Amino acid sequence: MIELTIFLVLMTLGYLVGQYAEKKHYQSIIEREKRLSGLTTVASRFPPPGKQHDQCLVLGSVVISVDYFKRFIAMLRNLFGGRITSYEALLDRARRESLLRMKEQAAKMGAEYVFNVKYETASISKGRQNTIGSVEVLAYGTALMRPRDEA
Amino acid sequence: MKFEYKEIPEGINVSQVHPLRELAVLLGGAVLIIAVAVYVLGLSAGFLARYIPFEMELELVSSFPIETQENAEIDAYLERVNAQVIKAMALPDEMKITLRYSSDDTVNAFATLGGNVVVFRGLLEKLPNENALAMLLAHEVAHVKHRDPIVSVSRGLTISALLSLVLGQSDLGVLGDTGLYTLLHFNREMESEADREALEAVYKIYGHTQGADDLFRIFQAYREEKGDDGGFEFLQTHPLDWKRINAIDSYADQHRWEIEGKTVPIPENIFAAMNASSESAKK
Repeated sequence: MIELTIFLVLMTLGYLVGQYAEKKHYQSIIEREKRLSGLTTVASRFPPPGKQHDQCLVLGSVVISVDYFKRFIAMLRNLFGGRITSYEALLDRARRESLLRMKEQAAKMGAEYVFNVKYETASISKGRQNTIGSVEVLAYGTALMRPRDEA
Repeated sequence: MKFEYKEIPEGINVSQVHPLRELAVLLGGAVLIIAVAVYVLGLSAGFLARYIPFEMELELVSSFPIETQENAEIDAYLERVNAQVIKAMALPDEMKITLRYSSDDTVNAFATLGGNVVVFRGLLEKLPNENALAMLLAHEVAHVKHRDPIVSVSRGLTISALLSLVLGQSDLGVLGDTGLYTLLHFNREMESEADREALEAVYKIYGHTQGADDLFRIFQAYREEKGDDGGFEFLQTHPLDWKRINAIDSYADQHRWEIEGKTVPIPENIFAAMNASSESAKK
């Protein structure tokens, strides 16, 4: 009985807090994406021809953890198979947040473009049991800054 | 080449499913599957366990001694009542009932593996008459006759093996409770069956069923005194007391058994012996 109560409390807390955090995070992501929309970010490896830009590596990384509720749903999914929808939003947030952090860094350095943008994902718990399920998403690219003599 | 920003459309990489809906579907499915699996396994394990010979059950428990107090006077009295019960119930010869008296004040009695029946002083001294005692002993003997202890143990082992295999050490362990609640259903069925058989034995011994339901009234009064109203039947191993009283009353009615008659008192010297046994146990 006590175990069941603890479970229900954790599930309710996980659900309420997790949903609230997710909503807030998406609001902030959409707002910052608009703000940083002027900084062009592309996956292309070839910079625009003609201009000689200064180059610099920019990074954005985020570590994000799943709440109890989402983890429970994901574990149930392991029994039945199918899309783990509860993790989809989590990873979507992590990717967009890491890209935003990279763009923030590039913007501070006065970049005009960020080229050759790539993602890396790493699981921190590495499938061990009874640890916090969390992932790191790293976005990196080459920031192109207008040469000083041209400015 | 021109690079321009276009707003990204939302909701492509994220499935739009309400998390509570997802939980309801998954959890409902898992609970249903476990309940069905436990029910089927419980039925088959129970069915097979009845074929385990009684001698084997005796061997199984011979290595686990049950500690009780010897008390010649009480033991003799319990044996005398129990002999009537066994005769009335036509217990197979190979089933030997070993009665044990404990001076503990627990308000309970139970039957366990190997035909061992333990009666606690706490319950014994509350009994108003011998008829209630016969009902109590008959109920426990009925459990032995039906092979309920070995069936319960076999079911419990089979089901916990299944659950630990499927759910393992994961956080899904909470789903194991589903299996345990399904097990309780079998237990309640056993209790009702034992109640009916015990009532028949009481009727055969005394020619009426007066005093038989006193046993459950004692449990009811005791639980009320403790402030425990029985709670949800869903979570109990036994049927609720008032339901048991109603069930045996209607069972007696069905068979047109005499429900009124003179009850036999429990001899005074037994109460004195019980007091003495509790005093000596305290020392």
